[in-house]
Amino acid sequence: MSTQPSLLDEVPGELMMWVLIVSELLVFGAGLAVFLSVRLTDPTMFAESQDYLHRTGAALNTIVLVTSGFLAARALHWRETADRFKARVALIAAAALGAVFLVIKGMEYADKAAQGIGPETNAFFTFYYLLTGFHAAHVVAGIVILMLVAWKDEPRNIETGAQFWHMVDLVWVLLFPVVYLLG
Amino acid sequence: MPYDALTKAWIWLIALSAGSAVVAMLVAQGMDRRIAGAAILVLALLKSRTILTRYLGLSEAPSLRRGFNLVLTLYCVLLLGLYLIGGTSL
Repeated sequence: MSTQPSLLDEVPGELMMWVLIVSELLVFGAGLAVFLSVRLTDPTMFAESQDYLHRTGAALNTIVLVTSGFLAARALHWRETADRFKARVALIAAAALGAVFLVIKGMEYADKAAQGIGPETNAFFTFYYLLTGFHAAHVVAGIVILMLVAWKDEPRNIETGAQFWHMVDLVWVLLFPVVYLLG
Repeated sequence: MPYDALTKAWIWLIALSAGSAVVAMLVAQGMDRRIAGAAILVLALLKSRTILTRYLGLSEAPSLRRGFNLVLTLYCVLLLGLYLIGGTSL
C-alpha cells in the first residue's frame, strides 16, 4: 500500500497557525464583503465618508507593516543560521514597527473623535471602526507575540510568531484598499 | 528561504503599495473610478499573493499556493463586482 504525502504535509510551519490564518481571513473577508454590500444601499454616503479618512496615513501604515513582516521573516532566517542576536533585534524592530502602526492609527482615531465622528455616525463609520479596530487588536496581540518569541527564541517559536504577524499583514493589505480607496 | 527572494519580495511589496497610492492620487485627478477600482484590487491581490508565497512560505507548498491564489482571486473578483454594482460616481 503506497503512502502518498497529503496536502497537509506540505504546510510550512505550524498547521494550527494555518487554521487560525484561514479562520481570520474568512472573518475579515466576510466583513469586507458585507462592507461593500452595505455600500450598495448608499454609495454616495460611503464615498463622502471615505473622504474623511487619512489615506496617506493608511498608505504609510501599509509600508510600515510590510517592512515589519520582512523583519519578522528575516529574523527566522537569521535564527536558523544561528545568528540569535540579529534575529532578536529584527523581532524587536518588527514589534516596534507594529507600535508605529498603532500610533498612526491612534492619530487617525483621535482626529475622527475631534471631528465628532464615531462608530454611530453612519453605517460606513460603524464598519470602519469595527474592521480597523478588530485589526488593530490583532496588531496589539502580534506585538506581544513578537516580543515573546524574541525572548523564547527557538526557531519553531519564531516561525509561529512570524506566521501570526504575516496574517496581520495579509489582512491589512486587503482591508486598506477596500475601506480607504474604493470610494 | 533564499535571502534574495525575501528582500525582492519586500521591495516588490513596497512598489505595489506605491502603485496603490499613485492610483488613489489619479482618482483625485479624475481617473475613471471603475478602472481605478480594478487596478486597486489587482494591486491588493498581488500584495496578498506575495505575502503568502514569500513571507508565509507557500513557495515551498505549490499545491496550497495554487489553492490560496485561486480563492483569493475569486474573492477579489467578488469585491470588484460589489464595488461596480454599487456605482462609482460621487
